[in-house]
Amino acid sequence: MVAALSSAGLDADSVRAGGAPVAGGTLTYATDREPTCLDPHVDGDMPQVFVAQQFLDSLVSMDQDGHIGPWLARSWTVSPDGKTYTFKLRDDVTFSNGEKFTSAAVKANLDHMVDPATQSSTAGGYVRQYVGTDTPDDLTAVVHLSKPYAAFLEVLAQGFLGIEAPSALKRSRDENCQSPVGSGPFKVTRWDHQSQVVLERNPDYRWAPLTARHQGPAYLDKIVWKFIPEPSVRFAALQNGSVDVIEAVPPESEAAAEKNPDLTLIVKDRPGNPTNGELNTRRAPFDDIRVREAFVRSADIDGALASVYFGRYHHATGPLSAVTPFYSGDFQHADDYDPDRANKLLDEAGWTERDSSGLRSRNGQPLAVHIPIGASIGPAERSLWEQVQATAGQVGFDVRLEPVGDTESSERQGKWDYDVTLDYWNTNTADVLRIVFGSEFLGAAGSGGYHQNGSGLQNAAFDDTVEKALETQDEATRRGLYRQAQELISGQYLQLRTYPQSTRLGVYKTAHDVRLEPSLTVTTLYDAWVSK
Amino acid sequence: MSAASGREPRPPQTRRLRRLAQRLLLRAGGGGLVLLASATVTFFALHLTPGDPVRALLGGPTSNPTPETIAAAVKEFGLDQPLLTQYAIYIGRLLRGDFGVSFSQHLPVADVIAEQVWPTLQLTAASLLVAWVLALVSVLGTTRRGRWVSGLGSAIETVSASLPQFWLGIVLLAVFSFGLRLFPPEGNGGLVSLVLPTLALAVPLAGFLAQVMRESLELALDQPFILSARMRGLGDWPVRWRHALRHAVLPGVSLSAWAVGSLIGNSVLVELIFSRQGLGRQLYQAVSLQDMPLTIGITLFVTLVYIVTSILVDALYVVVDPRIEAGRT
Repeated sequence: MVAALSSAGLDADSVRAGGAPVAGGTLTYATDREPTCLDPHVDGDMPQVFVAQQFLDSLVSMDQDGHIGPWLARSWTVSPDGKTYTFKLRDDVTFSNGEKFTSAAVKANLDHMVDPATQSSTAGGYVRQYVGTDTPDDLTAVVHLSKPYAAFLEVLAQGFLGIEAPSALKRSRDENCQSPVGSGPFKVTRWDHQSQVVLERNPDYRWAPLTARHQGPAYLDKIVWKFIPEPSVRFAALQNGSVDVIEAVPPESEAAAEKNPDLTLIVKDRPGNPTNGELNTRRAPFDDIRVREAFVRSADIDGALASVYFGRYHHATGPLSAVTPFYSGDFQHADDYDPDRANKLLDEAGWTERDSSGLRSRNGQPLAVHIPIGASIGPAERSLWEQVQATAGQVGFDVRLEPVGDTESSERQGKWDYDVTLDYWNTNTADVLRIVFGSEFLGAAGSGGYHQNGSGLQNAAFDDTVEKALETQDEATRRGLYRQAQELISGQYLQLRTYPQSTRLGVYKTAHDVRLEPSLTVTTLYDAWVSK
Repeated sequence: MSAASGREPRPPQTRRLRRLAQRLLLRAGGGGLVLLASATVTFFALHLTPGDPVRALLGGPTSNPTPETIAAAVKEFGLDQPLLTQYAIYIGRLLRGDFGVSFSQHLPVADVIAEQVWPTLQLTAASLLVAWVLALVSVLGTTRRGRWVSGLGSAIETVSASLPQFWLGIVLLAVFSFGLRLFPPEGNGGLVSLVLPTLALAVPLAGFLAQVMRESLELALDQPFILSARMRGLGDWPVRWRHALRHAVLPGVSLSAWAVGSLIGNSVLVELIFSRQGLGRQLYQAVSLQDMPLTIGITLFVTLVYIVTSILVDALYVVVDPRIEAGRT
């Protein structure tokens, strides 16, 4: 009994390890989507950062509590005006091509991210404030920003902003996409498109972050990173042990995984803005806050999640997922399911006429909600919105789910031609609120006028709050400001929040110490080892 | 010399070759036109698809590109030019053999095709072969073998022909991979991993081929020369093999060019289900990302395979039944 209790306190992979890590061997990892480029500076989609985490190091690290610690930078200072960051670098780091890591590499990487030719849509977007880097000596990098940006260290901890070898970055973008070079515990040795990426151990690795469980080279000789898009096939491959770890365990298989003694599940939410439908405030009917609140309260998300995702996904608890730094749990019930209140609000707003099926209208105009559903939205997500359609229909919303191609869906997004657009944003900083709700992200940031602020909120008090939160490094001050920002957002009913994005790994008994790093809840195989 | 072809006079060898060369040239010219038409249709079809490919190629819905980044991408892929200019530039490049660089793969289109073509051709060839074997076994084994056997054979063929490949793929996976664990569920790991995807493609095709061949075989078995062969004392199998088979396979041969095209088309689903590397899966991704150069490149390649196959089938047809050659002069 005592033994059982004490082992229950450890996490699953440690229990199963049953001994010291063994060096050597190959771990086969299978995921659903293949990156289009292995350099995470280019584009910047989640599959890229998952692979990049294995072969790139970052300037700073982030721990489970959101605290920033050293990594390739030993220490740093921030100027009083918040615009100059001086990094003191490790002097013992080499890239896997033998090149030494110096301040010139910091400069080359930041320059690379903001260079339009790189076509960086994530890393580049996070460092828009970047002006330039001075390199007074090899171990000092002085980074200049155009305005204070307290989230700078947080985004630097993300794998998207991983540090690559300057000589490799000098090659053409497309060449670097195929064979990027980092200083991480593994190096990319092969990429068979549509099949797998092969990574091999970097034997000289001596600079793991303090968040890791060991120091020195990784235990694994090799990682075979496979792409198996079909969920049932991926899960079957895990069950018969032909792969050691899978990512994106299908929710319908999770119960089977829990019953199978050979398997362990590792599930953790990702930081950022949870999966949601953004309500377009720029046109009727959602230009009226009463109608927005009515819509949000008419959707039985808990019921929908229980039936569509077999109770495996939980309702998001605010505009930030709970694992995001400066998340506040105070507003998680601000928009609970309440059809009575929804009916009352719609009556107040004048949507009082009802047709034979109970759908409302006002002056002959139906209470229609147009929701474009892009082709890449999976079947489960569609079912979820069908449930929203059903429960919102009960209070009189005529929810129209409109299947379109992905490019058409982004074009409609750009033209504000929707009432609800499906979105999420993974990032490790509460500054995501500024991107998703700030006025500066209303404009034509993307192609076809695509904007990140999908609800179209324009609120000076909110802008001011999130801007102020970037001007100070003081944690208590930032916490207070981000709480205020979350409060402002919660009262506006701008998103119908569904569930937080999550990383869901299935681990076969042959794999041990597979972890999720905290900055984006991305797999790290640095501490992992295999017994087979 | 079989009874059927022995009756026809043979044209002199040189005339025959010249005619063959003429026909090949004509076919090649026609093939070129088909390729051009295929490139044109694909180009405009992709442009008529609503939406802007730039967004897709810059990392999808969760990305945060700056206006400069978007401008750079638009310029790099020439998307700021008028449509007809884009078309002219594109066809000009194609004529010079330059297939361009894939938007989504960051690789030359020719390299992407070269990397993906072998697994797909393997799958297609294996499926065609297996389909033929299955069809021949069914047709030769059951046609005119009494009402029950014949009817059963015919029924199995009809059912097979109507099975959707993706459904069959999932059933095969569920039974032989998830259930019995006889075959790996995914990948390109040699012959074993080729079995299930091949069956998923081959069984419906076999049903279709067999239906067509069965009818011809029935007709052939009613011919007087079969009766005369039987009267000479030949057994049932030799009659079928040596005399009737040639007639039965002819429609199958002419269907094979179409079959290759349809196999490559259906490989899209089968490659997705079995997570196989290949052109089909690549084409699916290219279309959904509006990756113009790659979509057109793969379409052209598949068209080319189709054209080459139909020329080969044409030649094979003449070998199987020399009357065709004589009849066309």
